[in-house]
Amino acid sequence: MKNLFEHFELYTPYALLLLALVPILSVWLYRKRYAEKPKMQYADLNSFGGFKTLKNKVLIILPVLLLLSVALISIGIARPRSIDVTAKTKKTKGIDIMLAVDVSASMLARDLKPNRLEALKKTAINFIKKRPNDRFGVVLYAGEAFTQVPITSDQRIVMQAIRKINFRQLFNQLDQGTAIGMGLATAVNRLKDSKAKSKVVILMTDGVNNTGEIDPYTALELAKEFGIKVYTIGLGTNGYALTPVGVRPDGSFEYRNAKVEIDEKLLKKIAAETGGKYFRATDNRKLQKIYKEIDKLEKTEIKETKYYNYKELYRPLILISVILISLIGLLRYTWLKSFI
Amino acid sequence: MTTKDILKKVRKIEIKTKRLSDHIFGGEYHSSFKGRGMTFSEVRPYAFGDDVRNIDWNVTARYRTPFVKVFEEERELTMMLAVDISGSENFGTQTQLKREMITEIVATLAFSATQNNDKVGLILYSDEIELFIPPAKGRSHVLRIIRELIDFKPKHTRTNTAQALKFLYNVLKKKAIVFLISDFIDTKYEDTLKIVGRKHDLTGIMVYDPIEKEMPDLGLVALRDLETGKTAYVDTGNKQVRHTHNAMFLKRHDYFKKAFQKAGSGIIWVATNGSYIKKMLQYFKARS
Repeated sequence: MKNLFEHFELYTPYALLLLALVPILSVWLYRKRYAEKPKMQYADLNSFGGFKTLKNKVLIILPVLLLLSVALISIGIARPRSIDVTAKTKKTKGIDIMLAVDVSASMLARDLKPNRLEALKKTAINFIKKRPNDRFGVVLYAGEAFTQVPITSDQRIVMQAIRKINFRQLFNQLDQGTAIGMGLATAVNRLKDSKAKSKVVILMTDGVNNTGEIDPYTALELAKEFGIKVYTIGLGTNGYALTPVGVRPDGSFEYRNAKVEIDEKLLKKIAAETGGKYFRATDNRKLQKIYKEIDKLEKTEIKETKYYNYKELYRPLILISVILISLIGLLRYTWLKSFI
Repeated sequence: MTTKDILKKVRKIEIKTKRLSDHIFGGEYHSSFKGRGMTFSEVRPYAFGDDVRNIDWNVTARYRTPFVKVFEEERELTMMLAVDISGSENFGTQTQLKREMITEIVATLAFSATQNNDKVGLILYSDEIELFIPPAKGRSHVLRIIRELIDFKPKHTRTNTAQALKFLYNVLKKKAIVFLISDFIDTKYEDTLKIVGRKHDLTGIMVYDPIEKEMPDLGLVALRDLETGKTAYVDTGNKQVRHTHNAMFLKRHDYFKKAFQKAGSGIIWVATNGSYIKKMLQYFKARS
């Protein structure tokens, strides 16, 4: 039922005011029911015994039919129609966004809930969902960097890839450390051939560049060279956080409170020089806010075209009332014809 | 209707009905309604053919020529005409309306009465007494009665015969000849009729239109009741409707006959397409 009304509208609803005619008309018809008829004067009506034949009954129904057809016409004039919306979004050329995600061991720190990495994954997916017209790619880095997903418009794959980031697996594969320069450089490499209007890297880290073959400043130069905007996000609370400091023999991590160290100076510089912005995420809420802000800053124009398929429903209404009126006329002048 | 028209119409009716009463009804009426007896009025010289038994011997002896006694009927009768002028009387599908026919009948009766030196009075009634003209003699009085019958406009349209009869009973102290002329589209007058019939010489004249008896097939017609003013569509094409209509008329007619017979009164019924002259003559003849 709800569905029916959702896809149903009256084009000129004020035409329903014509329905007010129905009671007025009915009063008028009742008053004038004999007026237009020539009447024969008769001595005694009682002598017919008040017997109602079929004709008498139909004669009473006729004005009711007339009123009904008036009501139907009024509704018909209001033009009821059902709507079928087919929305076709025209994809405008969006921007390309590379997400450079730090997957060093410190990302397991629990200052964000449940830990930095998981919080990041969740927020990143939401971010991608909100931007259907942009292309995304994912670069993961620790002591070295690799491209998890090259830049693509298939967001499902990107989201899946992010969801599947498994720290333990990566921990075994990658060199330890935080190679911010490598991460950024890899991301830039992926974006350099892109023809998108705007190219963006979102660089996330929670530490200080301490390894890697490419110096962050070199990577910065590269980014500048290709006109790539870099938003930098520093993850981690101010002060101390429960951070893994070692691996136990059974493979689980040893957690200790360690001082959170983020090379903010570097990140700020990268952001400033490429036209991006530096953010500091001290908790989950803050992180979400940052993504929202980036979302706002990187507005892309979306052109959406909606196609409305209207199905006019007045036709049967008018048809019925026309049939009714002609039936009334027909009966009046044939079967119910008066002698005088 | 202007006064001139009315006078013209009165005149027309006078000519028609006076002739009728002079030549046809006069005698019949006279012998139908007898007075209380014969009284001596005068003596006149004997003429050939007079009954020898009527010779007044005292006077004959005094004048030495034969004289006969002349007797005259003691009449001074009163005729009361109670006429229904309710709405239904203005109906008629034949040459004339019921009311027009009633007017002629009343005129005939009134002229017959004056001719026989009787007084004539008139009551016009609907569901109440519309007009009462006390009994009087003379041609001009009869003409007034006719004029009222032609021109009188009743205030009410319905019929109440019983009430008219009650009024008549109260107004007439002496025995009178009463004609109750109506279409008798009414009920519950039987009891009152009995009381009136016991005191007066009562005759009921029922005037009806043939359509009241048998409705022709007119298909669907809008009919307006002249008495109640109600309008309704009647499907005269339906046999059952027509049958009911006929049955209702017969019932009404039956009630009329029975009521008057029980009251010991005479009845005449005449349709507007029939001849009231014939019917009335038959009635008078049967009486005398």
